[in-house]
Amino acid sequence: MTSLVTGRSLGLLVCMRCRATVRAIGEEQSACPRCGAPLFVRRPRSFSTTAALVITAAVLYIPANVLPVMHTHEIFSEEDDTIMSGVISLVHQGSWPIALLVFFASIVVPLLKLVALGEILLAISRGRVRHTTQRSRLFRIVEFVGRWSMLDVFALSLLASLVQIQSLATIQIRPGAFAFAAVVVLTLLAAQTFDERLLWDADTRD
Amino acid sequence: MSSVIVCHACDLAHRLDSLAAKARVRCVRCRAELYRTNDGNLDSVIALAATALALFVLANVYPLVALTVNGSTRMTTLIGAAQAFYEQGYGALAILVAFTAVVVPLMQILTLLYVLVPLRLGHAAPGQKVLFRLLTALRPWGMVEVFMLGAVVALVKLSAQAEVSPRISLIAYGLLMMSIAALTNATPGEQYWRWVSTCSGATRRTAPRRTATGRGTGGRE
Repeated sequence: MTSLVTGRSLGLLVCMRCRATVRAIGEEQSACPRCGAPLFVRRPRSFSTTAALVITAAVLYIPANVLPVMHTHEIFSEEDDTIMSGVISLVHQGSWPIALLVFFASIVVPLLKLVALGEILLAISRGRVRHTTQRSRLFRIVEFVGRWSMLDVFALSLLASLVQIQSLATIQIRPGAFAFAAVVVLTLLAAQTFDERLLWDADTRD
Repeated sequence: MSSVIVCHACDLAHRLDSLAAKARVRCVRCRAELYRTNDGNLDSVIALAATALALFVLANVYPLVALTVNGSTRMTTLIGAAQAFYEQGYGALAILVAFTAVVVPLMQILTLLYVLVPLRLGHAAPGQKVLFRLLTALRPWGMVEVFMLGAVVALVKLSAQAEVSPRISLIAYGLLMMSIAALTNATPGEQYWRWVSTCSGATRRTAPRRTATGRGTGGRE
C-alpha cells in the first residue's frame, strides 16, 4: 500500500455541508461544531438510496421518452409531441444549434446520468479498484450537467402558458412531461445522495 | 503551523503548511477543490445581493414574453409559467418550476442579506448557522440560468409560427442570472465561515474597522 492516509484512519471527519475537518469523538454521530450539520464517516445508506433513485429513474426514462409531453391543438391540425419529436421539429425549422442543445440536455444528459451512475454503483458493489480516477471524473461531469435537463420542463411551462389562444391554438401538457421531470429530479437527488468516498474506499483498503 | 484538511470527496488527508492569501487547493488524489480563497469582500457581496433582489422584483412584476397571433397578443409572467402547469392538472410540475426558478433564487438572496448585513455590522444574525447550511443545501436547486435557456428554446420554437417578443422581465431575469452567478462565485462554501470567523470577534487578525471585542460599535470607527 502506498502512503495514502485517509481521514477515517486518522479519526477525522469531514462535514458534508461546510467541509470543515473535525476530530471524531467516540463512536457516536455528532454535529459539526462549525455549522451544526450532522457528521458521519460515510453518508448513511448512501449506496442503497442512490441505487433506489437510479433504478426508479431508469424505469421512468421509458415513459418519459415514449409518451407525448405535449399536445398542440390548432384549427386544422392536432399534434402530439414527445421529447424527441420536439427536437426533430426544431431541426425541420432549421434551428440547428437549439435542436442540438435540446437533444443534449433532454436526451443525452439523462441517459448519461443513468448509465454513469449505474456503472459507478456496479463498480462499487463488485469492489473494482481500477479506473477510480476516471469514475470520479465521470461523476463530477454528471453532477455538473445534470441540472440542464430541466431546460425542456421550463420551455414546456412557457409554451403551455403562452399558447392558450382558444380560437387559434392551444398547447396541453401530457403525462410524458411528468415522467420526464421525475427522471430529472430523481437523478439530481441520486447524485446528491451519493457519497463519492465510496468510490475510493476500495482503493484505500489493501 | 500546519493543519490537516480531509478531502470531502475521497477522504484523503492533506497537511497544509501554510496558505497564500489567494489560493486554490485541490486534492492530490481526486482533484476535488479543497479550499479556495477569493477577492470577494463582504461589502461587494452585499451590494450584489441587493442588486439581485431589485432584479428579482422586476423579473416577477412585469411580463416575461409576448406572443402575437393574428393580431391578438398574449403575455405571460414568470409565475404564469408555473401556473400553466397547475391549471392543466400538473400541480407537482408547477411546484417544481416555481421552486427552482422563483422560490430558491429569492430564498438565496434574502438569506444572504439577512445573514451578511448583520455580520458586516459585527454581530451574528439569529439562526445564522442554520441559514448558512440552508444556503449550501439550496445551491443545486436554484436554476435561473437553466430557465433562461428554456425560455430561449420556447421562443425559438414559437417564432416559426407566430410573432414572439421578449419583454422587460426576461431582460431582468437574464441580469438576475448573471448576478446570481457572480454571487455563487464570490461565496465558495468555505467563505461564509471565513467571514464568520473574521467578523464575529473570535479572532482579531485581518479585520480592519473592527474592535477586538467584536460587539457594539457597529463595525465602524
